[in-house]
Amino acid sequence: MATLPPASTGPADAGVKGITTQNGVWRVTTRKLPILKAEPIDKLSDELGIPIPEMIFGDNFVSISHVKTGWNLSFSAPEALDRVSKTEEGMLQVAVADEWKKTREGQEEVKQVVKPFDWSYSTDYKGRTEKGKADGNWTETNQEKDPIRNDLLTRQDPILFFDAVDLYEDELADNGIALLSIKVRVMPERMLLLSRFFLRLDGVVLRLRDTRVYIEHATNKVIRQYTAKEEKYEVVQEKLKAKRENATEAMRDANRVAPLLRTLEDRTEVFEVD
Amino acid sequence: MPGLPASVDLDECIARLYRKELLADSVIEAICAKTKELLMKESNVVHIQAPVTVVGDIHGQFFDMIEIFKIGGYCPDTNYLFLGDYVDRGLFSIETISLLVCLKLRYPERVHLIRGNHESRGVTQSYGFYTECSRKYGNPAVWHYFTDMFDYLSLSCVIDDKIFCVHGGLSPSIHSIDQIKIIDRFREIPHEGPMADLVWSDPDAERDEFSLSPRGAGYTFGAQVVKKFLEVNSMTHILRAHQLCNEGYMVMFDDRLSTVWSAPNYCYRCGNLASVLEVGPGGERKWNVFDAAPENEAHRIEQQQQQQQHAGNDPIRDYFL
Repeated sequence: MATLPPASTGPADAGVKGITTQNGVWRVTTRKLPILKAEPIDKLSDELGIPIPEMIFGDNFVSISHVKTGWNLSFSAPEALDRVSKTEEGMLQVAVADEWKKTREGQEEVKQVVKPFDWSYSTDYKGRTEKGKADGNWTETNQEKDPIRNDLLTRQDPILFFDAVDLYEDELADNGIALLSIKVRVMPERMLLLSRFFLRLDGVVLRLRDTRVYIEHATNKVIRQYTAKEEKYEVVQEKLKAKRENATEAMRDANRVAPLLRTLEDRTEVFEVD
Repeated sequence: MPGLPASVDLDECIARLYRKELLADSVIEAICAKTKELLMKESNVVHIQAPVTVVGDIHGQFFDMIEIFKIGGYCPDTNYLFLGDYVDRGLFSIETISLLVCLKLRYPERVHLIRGNHESRGVTQSYGFYTECSRKYGNPAVWHYFTDMFDYLSLSCVIDDKIFCVHGGLSPSIHSIDQIKIIDRFREIPHEGPMADLVWSDPDAERDEFSLSPRGAGYTFGAQVVKKFLEVNSMTHILRAHQLCNEGYMVMFDDRLSTVWSAPNYCYRCGNLASVLEVGPGGERKWNVFDAAPENEAHRIEQQQQQQQHAGNDPIRDYFL
């Protein structure tokens, strides 16, 4: 098993739990600790070069390892945030930004604009792969060839291990929500991990970036699907209204929003761990 | 000033609220109307004297607010200044704001409430208070009573002419305290302008001046801004809330500004500490740090349900796809 990354404070095994699959091939480990303290936040901010989201679970992680080879796929906040754009590229503006631009003309006191970065904290993070003693690489495939078997995943098989681990969250100064969280469940014959970035920028846009990791325990194959979805806020609002749903409430729930968004990217890769 | 209806006994309301019982909606209506009358007479800058215990964001974490009274003293034995953000996020926004409003009515000179960015119609519709009102009362009437009353909350407070207290922070449109006094505050919090800045802005240790957020709205203010504001107004310290701190508080700018945060284990999952600041008669400041109240445990399931996004209704059998 891969060594645990050190926590910012306290013993490395605090908040850690995990499970090894019955056949001994795979191990899932999670760590849940409080949000970071001021000092590690400053350090992380310096390292990444951007301000840190208001809720930062910098010690949390989820990892899936291949016991024999030490191959490991892990998810943590610092790495996810490192994939956030640090330039003006793709930078969103809140709904009231135009109103602001008009009124702040002639505001001499405001001498600086904070260095631009993607303050929505949108990330295309798919986890970090460490190969250990394993060979091979992630290779492109598709859902026909290497499907995530939703038919088997919807079966009410016993869940031997479940965890939900938040990595970061920001209310965008009450203009919506940006949330990166991970769920993992291990059944007797298979496991599923979902890393989900959900963004609701009120009056502007809804965005989902999902990474699903699927393993049949009896195989050495890791299937990873990345799906990016997005839609204008008003389009989603209209769709919900047409369905006579409470739009404000529905838009707080990524699961209810997901089917209403356009798919921008959908890729499947596979890693055969040998 | 007409009194409360004879049927409303404030001491009884307070006793019930300490037991976390909801008041009837007609009682909430009467209490909010009465509170409006009281708040209407307060200046945008309320001057008070130490000793006083200053409380930051609570966000509907009722048991943790009771914990504050347990460790800091009950009203009216201890004077309190609450810096806003009473509602949203937590499970018991109604119970929390109901109790605070009753205490304000009962002890108007010993309890002071100012406005946070969550004391607004817009924000409470997205972050939980509206939903809680509709769910617990079957209709949003009490949400209207409360949010109409929020329009009357004062914007700031000054302790012993020395400590300036506000929910968010400073504004590029405000140099002197007198400029706060002329704001027409009896309204919904606007999107921009000095009133918005007071409940929204954040300090930034990396910069000296005001900066515009990359979001396109919202300011941060730096060390020089704070220094100048204190000099111009002959004050020594700025005390504000609004930002989560794992340690429960944060002191910045050579002890010229501090942030007080009073919601431990924020949203029932951040694991952070909380604090209140006790300002003594000589102006000395003492942080009283505390952890989440044990009573929260009894509501573990409700907390998880509320966080559907995070843990699912039943984490053991969450067949997410």
